[in-house]
Amino acid sequence: MNSPRWKKILRDLQAARGRMAMMVIAIAVSIFGVGMILSAYTILSREMSANYLGTNPASAFIELDRVDEALVKAVSERPGISEAEATSWVGARAEVSPNEWMPVLLFVIPDFETMHVSTVSLEAGAYPPSDQTILVEREVLPMLDMKIGDALTVQTPNGTRQQVVISGTVHDPALAPAWQEQTVYGYISPAMLATLGESETLHILKVVVSDEPYNITAIESTVSELAVWLKSQGYVVDEIRIPPPGRHPHQSQMNSVLTLLLVFSLMALILSAILTATMINGLLAQQIRQIGIMKAIGARSVQITSLYLVMVVALGIAASLIGMPLGIAAGRGFASVVAQLLNLKIYSDAISLWVYIVLLLMGILIPLLVALDPILKTTRITVRETLNDYGISRDASASSLRDGWLSRIRFFDNTLILALRNTFRRRGRLILTLSLLSAAGAMFMTGVNVRAGWGAYLNQAAADRHYDLEIRFNSPVNEEQIDSILANVPGVEKSESWSLTPAALNRPDGLDIVRTYPDGGHGSFTLRSIPLGSQLIETPLLNGRWLEADDTNAVVLNQNAAAMFPDVKMGDEIQLLIEGQAKTFRVVGVIRQILTPSTAYVLPTTFTSVTGQPLELTNAVRVVMREHDDAAITSITRDVEQAFGEGSVSVKAMVSEALLGEAISGHVYIFIVALMLISTVMAVVGALGLTSSMGTSVIERTREFGVMRAIGARSKTILRNIISEGVFIGLMSWVIALPLSIPLSLGIGYLIGMMSFRSPLPLIMSPVGIAIWLSIIVIGSVAASAYPAQQASRLTVRETLAYI
Amino acid sequence: METGLASQNQLILQPIIENHLIELRRVSKAYDVAAGKFLALKDVDMQADAGEFVAVVGKSGSGKSTLINMITGIDTPTSGEVLVASTAVHAMDQEQLAVWRGRNVGVVFQFFQLLPTLTVAENIILPMDFCNTFPVNERRARAISLLEKVGIAEQADKLPSDLSGGQQQRAAIARSLANDPPLIVADEPTGNLDSQTSDAVMQLFANLAAEGKTVLMVTHERDLTQYFTRSIMLADGVIVNGRER
Repeated sequence: MNSPRWKKILRDLQAARGRMAMMVIAIAVSIFGVGMILSAYTILSREMSANYLGTNPASAFIELDRVDEALVKAVSERPGISEAEATSWVGARAEVSPNEWMPVLLFVIPDFETMHVSTVSLEAGAYPPSDQTILVEREVLPMLDMKIGDALTVQTPNGTRQQVVISGTVHDPALAPAWQEQTVYGYISPAMLATLGESETLHILKVVVSDEPYNITAIESTVSELAVWLKSQGYVVDEIRIPPPGRHPHQSQMNSVLTLLLVFSLMALILSAILTATMINGLLAQQIRQIGIMKAIGARSVQITSLYLVMVVALGIAASLIGMPLGIAAGRGFASVVAQLLNLKIYSDAISLWVYIVLLLMGILIPLLVALDPILKTTRITVRETLNDYGISRDASASSLRDGWLSRIRFFDNTLILALRNTFRRRGRLILTLSLLSAAGAMFMTGVNVRAGWGAYLNQAAADRHYDLEIRFNSPVNEEQIDSILANVPGVEKSESWSLTPAALNRPDGLDIVRTYPDGGHGSFTLRSIPLGSQLIETPLLNGRWLEADDTNAVVLNQNAAAMFPDVKMGDEIQLLIEGQAKTFRVVGVIRQILTPSTAYVLPTTFTSVTGQPLELTNAVRVVMREHDDAAITSITRDVEQAFGEGSVSVKAMVSEALLGEAISGHVYIFIVALMLISTVMAVVGALGLTSSMGTSVIERTREFGVMRAIGARSKTILRNIISEGVFIGLMSWVIALPLSIPLSLGIGYLIGMMSFRSPLPLIMSPVGIAIWLSIIVIGSVAASAYPAQQASRLTVRETLAYI
Repeated sequence: METGLASQNQLILQPIIENHLIELRRVSKAYDVAAGKFLALKDVDMQADAGEFVAVVGKSGSGKSTLINMITGIDTPTSGEVLVASTAVHAMDQEQLAVWRGRNVGVVFQFFQLLPTLTVAENIILPMDFCNTFPVNERRARAISLLEKVGIAEQADKLPSDLSGGQQQRAAIARSLANDPPLIVADEPTGNLDSQTSDAVMQLFANLAAEGKTVLMVTHERDLTQYFTRSIMLADGVIVNGRER
């Protein structure tokens, strides 16, 4: 490094430290973006599995008429079963404020100390709970704004309203977070359940299979054999829940976020390569005459090439040293935010080795690769060409058509026309700059568009539901009684009966096997009775037709339910297991329903014939209110609650639009955070690219400014010329970015929509995104060109003409 | 030290009848311009010998710079032969030219063209570094001795921007001598200097010629003729007279 050529490189780096710093920052920002995304990816994908698998999740939950210790012991000794345990779950309600109820899912644990399947861990308070207290999932307390020691008002289907003291909190990472589901998760002893008015008898058998625990077919086979054996032992086998093995209930939500992050990190990588190429070109533009001089005094191309490649590697290393730790730290932060949102614990925030390797390669190899070609090209230019590079004429691409057109423009002054002409002069540079800015703009707008698409999707989901409240009853109630109660509640406009019952795919062995998680929501499949001509939901048809009056066993599936019958055609018969009996339906249509679990819709007569529930009874009603804002819905829901209480109607759950809105917002919050983060990174990289590109353009043309000043141009004129050119390039990139964002938004919207809801997100060109990017581009162009323009306008004519 | 041209003469043209240091045979150079082809040099024949201080004069656009660019290998002829100490410069590729030029030709530019981030001494060491001509530990001493020769040794550790125009040109001359080349080519080296400084610089070149170096200089300035041993006048790409002083 004592040799003058290396000193030159070091001092060049030092002399142009502003530009070099910008180049390092630009590469560092890209490394930061990709580093953050990859780090978050590696932590979250690992920790989500670790959290879920750490609970030793049951392979299956078998609902029996009774489960006792002897049975548990016998089952755990069965072939193919490694562990077995008894539990129960009961759907109840908690009064969170007067007449405002929230669903409660009570998990009954016979022995907290020895629990070993689908476990929970103590977070705070007393463990195990006494027979008069309840433990709640740790996310419940902030959701209800309660603390340990407070009493929760709980009512089970067969019990009365009771105050139960919360004695502690547990962490149950196998459940979707309470605030996302708007559900209270409670953990109690059988004795506590008895106090609440329910039978102490446990009825759920949790089993873990020993062979191929992550193979759903193998699990089904083992559990089916076990179920047949249980029947042979005189047990009544009801529903068997086999949730997707090894997968957290929100795994698909997380996968969507991670895929989104990976797609954008790939884009950030491409952006970083273009940015680096722009920077390297700028660097070489500045050095071209010096390269000529070095060649004139005896330097060979290979010597010069190695000088600049080492320089690029040095910049890459510097950028990596800055970008990598910051990116990884931000990734850890982001992972921690997402983990909190998903109620996960981060046991280790270690980053996989491959992430470091990718980031280092990105920091060093990408600049090197993109720099190699321009460096080779520049160092191969003859001495005469490099020395003749006056920053005025080289590579000037004239277009008589364009110039003729520009010269005919009358309403701009000559400075602006010169700026327009300058824009097109260096075609290579222009293409590179436009590629960078357009790519950044398209990605930024895609981020905002996907977010808007998501919003539109949710709004559509809300718009498709024309009711404000769904009330589910613990047992079927006479429809007339319900109607008369509701008719006396002010604010209720009308109600319809929408009875429901769980459904499952029918199997040859007659077992009722569903893919539902213990929370009963994720992966559920429901058969719904819908009144003919009901207007309470939109039914956009994807295939076939809607239900008609003379249909007898016709069924319309929503797209999630249809996915369970991949080969079914309109008119085909399918068999569903309803209340343990195989029932045959004829599929007449498939509808698109956003954010609705798998549902099969039938007419009330069909519902009656398959469930045996008399036509005049109902187990669920949907209510339309006169006002539809959240406050009105909440208030009227309280009144409905009170009216049913007074009418002695046992309500299982009330799901209002306000509650549903909260739950849905909770589910998409992570996506919104991720998309905002991505858009910001893209905007920063784009702005840096713009700054670098404009700075380079000015440096390249320093001599030209000398000439302009020598012939009378004032500093103000030069300043205006450069800024106009910057703004013009920015605007051109904006025009290109707009159409480019359409296929990108469509593609990513499709990917995310299909992963999350089996339905692509709509394409929304967000005016906000378009306007924000336009502002960034215009302000960025002015800011990016103003500083170098001011520097250039300050140089004396002599300085600019002697510029080397 | 290796300064001889013979070591670079893999492209020597045989037989050389007259052993001139520089010999141009029917050299033409055409450039493509918007209007078609522009002939900057037309069948130029020229010779120069060791110890000569040759002025290349002519109006702007007459082909002066093109002529010296042919000799330094900065540009290549469209046709004809350029021989410098029996080396066929016209037949070399860019890489060969870089090595050959570094060791055999010292180039001095009008705007000095010192690398701005290197000190004066480092600018002079740079050609030795690129061409690996002197032992590393002797290079600085040689640079200082060359700076003494041009009278600015005290400026050795300053950056070019700290020097006056005349001092920068002296530094550029010292750089051109770094590898002890037999040929010094200067393109209007006084064009950017005042008359007093010009005289001092010209005296330096004259001294070099007196020491046996061949100095070829493009100039516009008529009052410098006293320093030259010969001048060549170009007009429209043709040598119109070659005049001994």
